[in-house]
Amino acid sequence: MDHKRRSLIAALTASPLLAHAAARSSPRPVVVMTSYPDEVITRFQEAFERAHPGFALQFLWRMPFDALPYLQQPGQGGVDVYWSASPRNFAALAAGGALRVLDIDRKDLPARVGNADLADPQGRYIATEMAAYGFAVNPAALERLGLSAPEDWEDLAAPALAGQIALPDPVTVGFAPVMIDIVLQAYGWQRGWALWSEIAGNAQLTGHGGSFVTDLVGPGTLAVGLSIDFFVASAIAKGQAIRLVYPRHTGINPAQVAILRDAHELEGARAFVAFLVSPAGQRILRDRSIRKLPVRPDAYADSGVGDFNPFAAASAGGLAFDQKLALPRLGLVTAVFGQMISQPHAELVTLWQRAHAAQAAGKDVGAVRALLGAPPLGEQEAADGALQAHFRRSTEGAAVPAPDAVESAWAQACQKRRIDARQMLEALGA
Amino acid sequence: MKPSHRLGFVLRLSIALLPAAAVAGVPAERGPEAYSQAVDGLDAAQSAAFLRGRALFHQVWVVAPSLEHEVEGLGPLYNAFSCSACHPGNGRGHAPDGPGERMRSMLVRLSVPGHGPHGGPRPSAAYGDQFNEQGIPGVPGEGRARLSWQPDVFRYPDGSLCALRRPRLQLTELAYGPMRKVQTSARIAPAVYGTGLLDAVPDAELLTLARRQRPDHVRGRVNLVWNAGNAQMAVGRFGWKANVPHLTQQVAAAFLGDMGITSGMFPQRNCTSVQQACRQAPAGRVPQLDPKQLADTAAYVATLAVPPASVPSDARGEAAFTQAGCANCHLPELHVADRHGASAGGESVIHPYTDLLLHDMGAALADGRPDFRAGSRAWRTAPLWGIGLAREVDGRAGFLHDGRARSLEEAVLWHGGEAQAARQRFVRLSRADRLALLDFVAGR
Repeated sequence: MDHKRRSLIAALTASPLLAHAAARSSPRPVVVMTSYPDEVITRFQEAFERAHPGFALQFLWRMPFDALPYLQQPGQGGVDVYWSASPRNFAALAAGGALRVLDIDRKDLPARVGNADLADPQGRYIATEMAAYGFAVNPAALERLGLSAPEDWEDLAAPALAGQIALPDPVTVGFAPVMIDIVLQAYGWQRGWALWSEIAGNAQLTGHGGSFVTDLVGPGTLAVGLSIDFFVASAIAKGQAIRLVYPRHTGINPAQVAILRDAHELEGARAFVAFLVSPAGQRILRDRSIRKLPVRPDAYADSGVGDFNPFAAASAGGLAFDQKLALPRLGLVTAVFGQMISQPHAELVTLWQRAHAAQAAGKDVGAVRALLGAPPLGEQEAADGALQAHFRRSTEGAAVPAPDAVESAWAQACQKRRIDARQMLEALGA
Repeated sequence: MKPSHRLGFVLRLSIALLPAAAVAGVPAERGPEAYSQAVDGLDAAQSAAFLRGRALFHQVWVVAPSLEHEVEGLGPLYNAFSCSACHPGNGRGHAPDGPGERMRSMLVRLSVPGHGPHGGPRPSAAYGDQFNEQGIPGVPGEGRARLSWQPDVFRYPDGSLCALRRPRLQLTELAYGPMRKVQTSARIAPAVYGTGLLDAVPDAELLTLARRQRPDHVRGRVNLVWNAGNAQMAVGRFGWKANVPHLTQQVAAAFLGDMGITSGMFPQRNCTSVQQACRQAPAGRVPQLDPKQLADTAAYVATLAVPPASVPSDARGEAAFTQAGCANCHLPELHVADRHGASAGGESVIHPYTDLLLHDMGAALADGRPDFRAGSRAWRTAPLWGIGLAREVDGRAGFLHDGRARSLEEAVLWHGGEAQAARQRFVRLSRADRLALLDFVAGR
């Protein structure tokens, strides 16, 4: 190998070829703003640039709350494409005239699944993938507890699951607000909040920068975790001994893509958007590190038994979650959860444990349940446009603001109910 | 961070692991998560730091100004926007398959002849010491690094063949003028698990090893490098040429070099004097990585467990490994001293299969770029622990500094210099013994 080594040394130690001339054939940059994790970005970038060597994707990363003001600045920050799981941002940008009408072939892309839009009726953005909500369950941990896997949200309120549930706090976890609203829509406002209160009484809250739900459920520290599905599916694909259970009532959260009004690289932007929803782009969603749900029905043709197919689930009536009802109130719902459940969580856990114990002893705890499960405002009040707008400040991932007067009033109302509940429990000897 | 601080933390963890870097309680000993488990025995504070560090390791950093002040400051010039982009699954990176593919978990170090401050490499005046292919909006990336391959085939005396490939690097689309007399070194990202234990090997251990007489004229050398933590020269142990003295500096240097994120240890932005747009770009907060974030990230990688070694089915592979002379440099044992009395006291042993020293690896692996005391042909002995799981963690993981080797066998065949005699013994082994040796290595 000596002569080969000599030529290798020559190759490695020579000045690198200087190729100003190559700049003439440089790929044209397509600037994409996104909030996807690097695994997703890398996989799509590799595949797109291989399929379209004339373009080079340049990613700008911004959480949704940070992306919106960036894209609303003059010139839209030089961004060509916005690609993110933030329906609220796409709705806001479309309403503000910030998006172009997409002129790509959409004949294989359904406009809706269940009650969720997969495309803007005016064609300014389309969904590229979906995520549904479900339960990560550890079969071994459930077996130790002598429990079967929960099938729907009300199963999570069972006293036997006390201390066994990981619940992402919607105040700090971007995907969780939609999950809260799924239950509110499925069970109604009053019953839905009562369920969340009782489920939280069984749960540990998880938040940004801390344990993932799968960290706790995977090794069996906890038996059940509430999650958006791709985190769980990815953990399973990486070897964790857990299962993903889709409850009877679930909903999907679409991620979308749009071309910005002031886009410079229109041809490249169109190529990228078309690639995302092409069969090749949709196949990437099944990668073990991604595990998102395709928006093309034909992508489910080779699904195995037990694989979740949102189009089939919608046909069976399981995707009734109404995104249009949820989107305007998500900020408000999150704020209510914060004051009613997150802030007093430790106290709530204790009160629910005492209530469950009293109930097991045959005592009537109906009034206690009513107090602990009552939200600080009714559904009609929560539908108030001005109030919803007041809480729309908190898009996905935003820092938690200090509670304002409205939230303080809610906190006081909830606190009074907890005090009353505690007194009732004491009166019951619980 | 002063050495005593880092050692105090890491050693407590290290001793809890010993012997053999045991990872009791780790659920994923194989598969994609094999390098992602925390060491056993972390207390609540250490577990919290691990989780915070993990979030930072996966954090995509944001161009300033941003509403997310705690993660703003990407660039202005950079290679990747997160740690995990280059260290997938906490494992090693890979080289592109050809010139049309970007370097995603690989970079090119640059220098010009001479010495920089403190005796290290002298950066290129226009491009600095690392080729940053990416730029934030308004700041041109430095260009494109393209790697192409020349195929080769090695034939064993028994007639078996092994395909090899030799790299050829080109830097194209140069945005800041031509490069003259530049020295380049293309390097894949190294794996990060087990680094806490390597950090806890005392300098004295390495200095003693460097004095030791070994067979085959093997003679390890200590690299003497700049410690940015205390502004003194120190024994190097991290990096492909052992050009970094401790883990915290390794992390801080990677934040700056790879992502353009400044820290208290490296407060200057990575813009050269000719890169005006880079110099004028908004910085966000200064420094961009606060001390707690740096400490958490370092704590995370320091407490990533080494996958447990597999038990060989017979002694054949280990015998071949030893008899071929591999263990002359890939030392099965290093000592970790409990200098802080945090645990059992005395000395304990880890099994990284490295001596952390520099060796002449021959002309075929030379990069033509000296780094402190490490010459063009000098490379640090790569740790072998956990290496057999590299492609379970990332299917494209590469071996050797520039990822040219796609298998452990290829990596062995590229050995030369002080390792030439061992390589020759490997080549002369029967096919069965070669496979047994490689199986043994893969099981470390």
